[in-house]
Amino acid sequence: MNAIMYPVSMAMRQTPLTCSGHTRPVVDLAFSGITPYGYFLISACKDGKPMLRQGDTGDWIGTFLGHKGAVWGATLNKEATKAATAAADFTAKVWDAVTGDEVLTLAHKHIVKSVNFTQDSNFLLTGGNDKVLRIYDLIKPEADPQEIAGHTSAIKKALWCNNDQQILSAADDKTIRLWDKNTQEAVHTLSFDASVTSMEYIPDGEILVITYGRTIAFYNAHSLDLIKTVDAPASIHSASLHPEKDFFVAGGDDFKLYKYDYTTKEEMESYKGHFGPIHTVRFSPDGELYASGSEDGTLRLWQTAVGKTYGLWKCVLPEELSSENSEVLYCPPAEIKA
Amino acid sequence: MKTPVSVLRLPRGPDPNSRGFDPNSPRFLALCPTTLSSSSSSGAVDEEEQRLRSDLRERFLRTLLLMTDKQVEFNMHEKVRVRARFGASDIDVLNFQVSGLETPLGVQKEALLRCQDVISCSFEL
Repeated sequence: MNAIMYPVSMAMRQTPLTCSGHTRPVVDLAFSGITPYGYFLISACKDGKPMLRQGDTGDWIGTFLGHKGAVWGATLNKEATKAATAAADFTAKVWDAVTGDEVLTLAHKHIVKSVNFTQDSNFLLTGGNDKVLRIYDLIKPEADPQEIAGHTSAIKKALWCNNDQQILSAADDKTIRLWDKNTQEAVHTLSFDASVTSMEYIPDGEILVITYGRTIAFYNAHSLDLIKTVDAPASIHSASLHPEKDFFVAGGDDFKLYKYDYTTKEEMESYKGHFGPIHTVRFSPDGELYASGSEDGTLRLWQTAVGKTYGLWKCVLPEELSSENSEVLYCPPAEIKA
Repeated sequence: MKTPVSVLRLPRGPDPNSRGFDPNSPRFLALCPTTLSSSSSSGAVDEEEQRLRSDLRERFLRTLLLMTDKQVEFNMHEKVRVRARFGASDIDVLNFQVSGLETPLGVQKEALLRCQDVISCSFEL
């Protein structure tokens, strides 16, 4: 057997895969962990209908029906057996992610923006415009949630961290606070001059990725010490760090996706494709692709190693493109619309 | 000029007629317990509940059939009340196809009503 190595990523142009179906802007997305059935992706949309997709292909699996307003946040548990959504109808909902059935509706006093499961899927953290963090025990859902107050403006994102013993929250009061779940006290606070637009927590390595203005900033998730910052050419709405911490991707106002080397902070690539600002971007759990959600109502999947065979992307050696023996392959024109 | 990466096909989009979550997918079959256990004592209760559910479902479907071509008044969210001639429902009861929908803006010849917005509907038998 011959093995011929071609430097494909240098010769090939990125072909993003467009996932259509939403009818309004996509504002949040999340991946599950890697399960025996692959990994999954959930998207939150202003049309009120969050969707579940197969993570490596973007194939639609189902739509969670029930919310009566824009869905601002969506998440999956590690095993992709449960989903949670946060909506403008003042509720957070928990869903069975296999059947698509609504399992629980948690009434709030205002728009809910963020939902996050603990590792064991037993607790759900919510945050939103009423400025209060809430922890729901999913084993005893009728019980009142634990409440943590302190933020002086709407909460944008709330995440479990440090083995689910602490909580990180970002709010419109331009602070990020680290709370101890048991004492309910703020252990650390970070203040900014601008509103934080996104937050991602990487448990392996305890890194916090934050975006504000044109800046992508990396912090130690325990001490909230600054590791480094990188400035992009345009206002950034979301960023994600690769699991191996060699790259990160960011997107925002100029519709483009930027890829940076995490170590050198150099911009490696930028990709056009979306027809509107990018609101959310996340790496898949295996790091092979990243997904972006945009004001244009689409999700796009992008390869980390351009040209590699993975999911729906097929590595084609130069001879195969003109050969009569090649399988039927779809060679895309400049723009693909699904 | 770089060659664009080839793809096998495009990602599959949503099915317009259903909310998805295919019950025949390997994941669904593996993770969802089968319904009705007949061996345990609670089996009898489950069977009775299932029979009642089936009856209710049948009554609902027969009501939809009876509504066909009748003038129906729909009571919806946001204090909306509209009248229309009921045509049909889609398979998941997500949309009702109606004709001659009377709205404050005029009569809409053909329209789809979103079922999640409908609280109740009434008609003369």
